[in-house]
Amino acid sequence: MTMKKTIIFALLITVLLLTACKPVTPQTYTDFLQREVTLTQPAQRIVSLAPSNTELLFAVGAGEQVVGREDFSDYPAEALDVPSVGGSMGDYNLEAIVALQPDLVLLTELHSPELVHSLEGLGLTVFYLGNPVVLEDLYTNIETVGKLTGHENEAAALVADLTSRVSKVDELVAGTTNRPVIFYELDATDPAKPWTAGPGTFVDQLVSRAGGVNLGSSLDGAWVQISQEELILRDPDMIFLGDAAYGTTPEQVAARAGWENLQAVTKGQISSFDDDLVSRPGPRLVDGLIEFARLLHPEIADQLP
Amino acid sequence: MKENTARPYLVTLAILLAAMLLSVAVGSVVIPLKDIFAVFWQGITGSLGEQIPPEAAIIFKLRLPRTILLALTGAALASSGAAYQGLFRNPLADPYVIGVASGAGLGAVIAMSIRWPYEWASTFIIPVIAFAAGLVTVLLVVVLARVNRTSSSTSLVLAGVAISSFTTAVSSFVMLKSTGELRRSMVWLLGGSTLSGWQPVLGMLPYAVLGIGALLTMGYTLNVMQFGDEQAAQMGLRVGRRRLIVIVAASLTTAAAVSFSGVIGFVGLITPHIVRLLAGGNYRRILPLSTLAGAAFLLLADILARVVIAPQEVPVGIITALTGAPFFIWVLRRSRPEEV
Repeated sequence: MTMKKTIIFALLITVLLLTACKPVTPQTYTDFLQREVTLTQPAQRIVSLAPSNTELLFAVGAGEQVVGREDFSDYPAEALDVPSVGGSMGDYNLEAIVALQPDLVLLTELHSPELVHSLEGLGLTVFYLGNPVVLEDLYTNIETVGKLTGHENEAAALVADLTSRVSKVDELVAGTTNRPVIFYELDATDPAKPWTAGPGTFVDQLVSRAGGVNLGSSLDGAWVQISQEELILRDPDMIFLGDAAYGTTPEQVAARAGWENLQAVTKGQISSFDDDLVSRPGPRLVDGLIEFARLLHPEIADQLP
Repeated sequence: MKENTARPYLVTLAILLAAMLLSVAVGSVVIPLKDIFAVFWQGITGSLGEQIPPEAAIIFKLRLPRTILLALTGAALASSGAAYQGLFRNPLADPYVIGVASGAGLGAVIAMSIRWPYEWASTFIIPVIAFAAGLVTVLLVVVLARVNRTSSSTSLVLAGVAISSFTTAVSSFVMLKSTGELRRSMVWLLGGSTLSGWQPVLGMLPYAVLGIGALLTMGYTLNVMQFGDEQAAQMGLRVGRRRLIVIVAASLTTAAAVSFSGVIGFVGLITPHIVRLLAGGNYRRILPLSTLAGAAFLLLADILARVVIAPQEVPVGIITALTGAPFFIWVLRRSRPEEV
């Protein structure tokens, strides 16, 4: 009996010690630049320097821990309540970042290594998150952000949800046969040579995963200008206006000289598209995939997740 | 020139010191003046301790180095601008006239379009490449401007303009083709450092001291050169050699300034003009006064850049051009036809 008690007592003590120790054990993570980043506890005061990072943080339930963002972080709406440290004009305001006393500054591949050095020089902890190359990399990023912020469970749940939605799309798309060619317009300030998304971009990957063909995939480079003549020759089935947020409308497209005879114009297959879904490598990429599938294959639209 | 010769120096120095103080005191984060003095006192007496408060980090690691870097940059640009204006006897000459900025710009844009391994990218790679590219461009201009074994002022300016247009076009092309972020290149080309803290100050200091120092000794040379190359040669000046010394010194200082602070326009163009208007046409006075005034002008422009849409900041090159261009037009309009 005493033996048993002793064992139980010892076990209890061990469990207590373990649970008590856990939060103070410093955790070391390796970031995209192969830097070792040590956090004594999950980050509680985070400055996010990219819209995708802000979306990741809020998506794993760490929104409350975000104390600073950059100018372009406008999603989710609550992010707008977080003070901005600049970025839309010139550089970030380092003074403002220091004054927020963050315990973690979350960067992405957009940022220069010099910025890492500058922030480290100010005594800040910096984690450099790589951009996902394929959709599956996104899940790794979500898990990483979950660990950094102490929201592993929410992150795992989010990944499970996204994975199941993506496989649902895969399944539905497998049942379709036609593969419409689409032109994704990023900017046509000069309609003679509009900008589009080239091979390897998420626009390109998600369009083909959603059962379409990106016209830009045969071009060379990620973000490229295509000649209007080439566009007319290739005559896409659909046009997606990634520049809808800047005020481009299907009517304007139809009114462009030389565009009036395009199939997409005559058949009315021009749609506005929320470019943020596919230009920010965050959790909304899956929404982008679903939106592409809905536009490309209206026949499966009501079954999409 | 019978007036008190020390006065313009004292006035400019006072303005510069005031600008430096203001530059440390003003920022997006409001730190009361007495806290600034307290932080300085703690810094000097070494009682800051291990965990320095954010106010001290802002002052010692951001504002103070930025103030010094900008003062050095303004001094470098204005002194080389004055030297080039004297050398080419052309009021339109600025520190970038023979291609330093466009060359350094091309170097920086190329360096920024490459994804360097993290260890390499340790801070200096962009300034070093920009610096080298700037100097190579000047060298090219000097070589190309050689006609009959000497390069005249006119052929230097013409070669400089041609090479500048060419390198600027290449920069634009590289920026369009690069998959990386354009914002960084844009910021740099409008006058903005990719670095913060003391490293750029230490990197620039030797070139600034050497280059500005050499330029300051060129007052007599430039005075004589105002009579024209032939006259100057008759007065015993070895024109070709002296011209080369001025070009080397001015290019070194400008390249260092551009590499660490980006392309900042108009400081080098208008500061010498203001000085000339206020203190006369003697280059022995124009050079040192431009050095001081350039530092003060850039600091004041930067303070404006920090407060005009605070808490955001505008690239300082926009402010210098916005304030400098109207002033420059005014100078042009009031100058006598034979000077232009």
